[in-house]
Amino acid sequence: MDLNYTPEDVAFRKQVRAWLEPNLPKGEIKTLEQRRAWHRKLYEAGYLGMGWPKEYGGGGARPMEQAIVADELARANAPAPTNSLGLGIVGPTIVVHGTDAQKRRYLKKILTAEELWCQLYSEPNAGSDLAALRTSAEDKGDHFIVNGQKIWTSGGAIADWGLLLARTNPGVAKHKGITCFLMNMRQPGVDIRPLKQITGSSEFSEVFMTNARVEKPDQIGALGEGWAIAQTTLGYERGGRALARITTYATQYHRLLEAARRLKRHGRPLIEDPVVRQKLGRIWAELEVERYGALRVLTQLERGEHPGAGGSLTKLSYSEFEKRFMELAMEILGPYGQLTEGQPEEYRLHVDTAVGDHGTWAYAFLWSRAGTIYAGSSEIQKNVVGERILGLPKETRADRAGSAR
Amino acid sequence: MNFSFSEDQILLKNSVRSVLDEQCKPAHARAMMDDPKGYSDTLWGEMAKLGWLGLPFPEQQGGAALGLVELALVCEELGRAAYPGPYLASVALGGLGLMLGGSAAQKEKWLPAIASGKARASAALLEDALDWDPASTLATAATAGGGWQLTGVKRFVPWAHVADVVLVPARAPEGLTLFLVDPKAPGVTVKPMVGIDLGSRWSEMKLDKAAVAADAVVGQPGAAGALLESLLRRAAVMASAEMLGAARRCLDMSVEYAKVREQFGQPIGSFQAIRHRCAEMLLEAENAHAAVYYAAWALTAGAEDAAVASSICKSYVSEAARKVCGDAIQVHGGIGFTWEYDLHLYMKRAKALEPLYGDAEYHRELIARHVTSSR
Repeated sequence: MDLNYTPEDVAFRKQVRAWLEPNLPKGEIKTLEQRRAWHRKLYEAGYLGMGWPKEYGGGGARPMEQAIVADELARANAPAPTNSLGLGIVGPTIVVHGTDAQKRRYLKKILTAEELWCQLYSEPNAGSDLAALRTSAEDKGDHFIVNGQKIWTSGGAIADWGLLLARTNPGVAKHKGITCFLMNMRQPGVDIRPLKQITGSSEFSEVFMTNARVEKPDQIGALGEGWAIAQTTLGYERGGRALARITTYATQYHRLLEAARRLKRHGRPLIEDPVVRQKLGRIWAELEVERYGALRVLTQLERGEHPGAGGSLTKLSYSEFEKRFMELAMEILGPYGQLTEGQPEEYRLHVDTAVGDHGTWAYAFLWSRAGTIYAGSSEIQKNVVGERILGLPKETRADRAGSAR
Repeated sequence: MNFSFSEDQILLKNSVRSVLDEQCKPAHARAMMDDPKGYSDTLWGEMAKLGWLGLPFPEQQGGAALGLVELALVCEELGRAAYPGPYLASVALGGLGLMLGGSAAQKEKWLPAIASGKARASAALLEDALDWDPASTLATAATAGGGWQLTGVKRFVPWAHVADVVLVPARAPEGLTLFLVDPKAPGVTVKPMVGIDLGSRWSEMKLDKAAVAADAVVGQPGAAGALLESLLRRAAVMASAEMLGAARRCLDMSVEYAKVREQFGQPIGSFQAIRHRCAEMLLEAENAHAAVYYAAWALTAGAEDAAVASSICKSYVSEAARKVCGDAIQVHGGIGFTWEYDLHLYMKRAKALEPLYGDAEYHRELIARHVTSSR
């Protein structure tokens, strides 16, 4: 056990920091083209797709190096690259399950942000019960015809391609009749409508597919293997953002401390109020415990071990923490915390939030509600932990047998 | 960066577990409840032979020269077994206190004796008002002849009734000073304080002009504050390790029970109400593990954040253990509320340690001081 960074990692961090200094975008990023340019700059410096195989344009880097780059970007409050789903989900899926032709066709363009990707998984009636999805893909010989509706498609509005889960065989049990595809979003049969969230913004879309076309060579894996592929995809959390996440929380936390020094109750700064101090002390402890946990995950990854269902514990831990943290921020900031405009400089949050461009406490607070729902709600994570780590019996379910129809 | 145990550490953990599985079964913990001394000499001798009693001491004083990560591993296993005996008191309180501040002669006298099991040590860190801040010490030390006379009342002194030496802070003319006191000496009276955990023994220790020699001062007169803070941090982390072990045992028992206990025609572990609770318990245990071993490493390595990491550890683990052990009783239902079932042994151990060496609120205030002063 040695929780110091190695001299190599320290040197690498320095190098990343030195690169960021002159290369960080000066003004605010306003257009997609500006974000794409920033993305390419990062890629050309070797800071994107770092863990992907070299032959497809990746960097073959260690997990710790990836975590350090993300951490330094967070420290510098750098804008996010684009194509997060391409980098985080689609690329790794193609690397593991794709054919050589698919790898050559798609991977490099994900890295260069030439093609932007979205993920077409959730449906209005298939959320936590994702395997209940009803979007169909019908075999037409040299292609498939897709009909159905997807929802919570992040980045759908700008995506060129989508990683699609669709039912190819309604006659078998629901987990067995699903296939995974790569679908061109730029076609007449695909209708994308922005979905306005409680944040007031629309990072997500609804996607309607009416006789949309998917080419045969764009099927990933075998027919009926889609569910298994999706399961591995959800486990692709490679700890890449493990440190960055904590650094962002820490920056926000110190911003909150500054506010607590200015704000008063009964004539006394909040920072001197023992109740507030207890709450701030608790959140700092929890934040640090998240950091220690991140170091444990990185240790595993560095040894080439996959956290597996342990990833569910990690996600459960930080997403629930984030909600508690943001509730405390709202308590301390009072109505300032709820402002979306007109807030004095002191109560502004400069930290880039999950999506990248709404630096307010109000936005960060509202976003914290998303974390315990997306990518498997906390309840689903607890089921995974209970069944796969603790070995508790599965509950009796009505949908294990019989066909999906 | 490597946040995992070395092969040697895993070997140590496994060997501690197998010895305790054999020699510290629940029946042993129960047998010691009625024992006037409260612990077994046989097991104590075995622990000495295995090198556990001198684990962190230098080799020239009979120790194994291991760090606090190793000590925490042992403490975790002791908590998992609800071990009844003065291990934490003797090794982590008295032993580490002497190691941190003792003179060469004091170390030479006591550390080999503690390591070999011949002597037991403890520390009297609490008084009537339960303030862990060393600055609140009210006991006094007056100069008398060539030595000192100590007067005051110490409370919740762990295993003082079997200790050969107790570290006692008192206010001397020079300021806060730490003394070595023989609890059997004239002027010292030790009275049992019996709590719900019968495997943890506490005493009230009254000092009425108790005479100690000039060479009984640990460190310099008036300079005990920093030493006591260092000791408190170590005790807090080792107590957390023991709480972690107790919590792990409660979790394991709950999961095993949830697999076999049937109601409504199914194992209760198949119900999400139970399964989700167990998942939350595991989450707390894993986070507590990270907090304990990070802090133990930081203290050993002298890391910059060692002090705040200790406070993070104790505040986090105190509440994590409370949740895990409490939830374990809930998962078990009625059987978990019986004396006969073993669950309460572990729950009570964690509960006994929860307020000691700074409770969660005490340490959260230290964390708040750290974050508001460091930036």
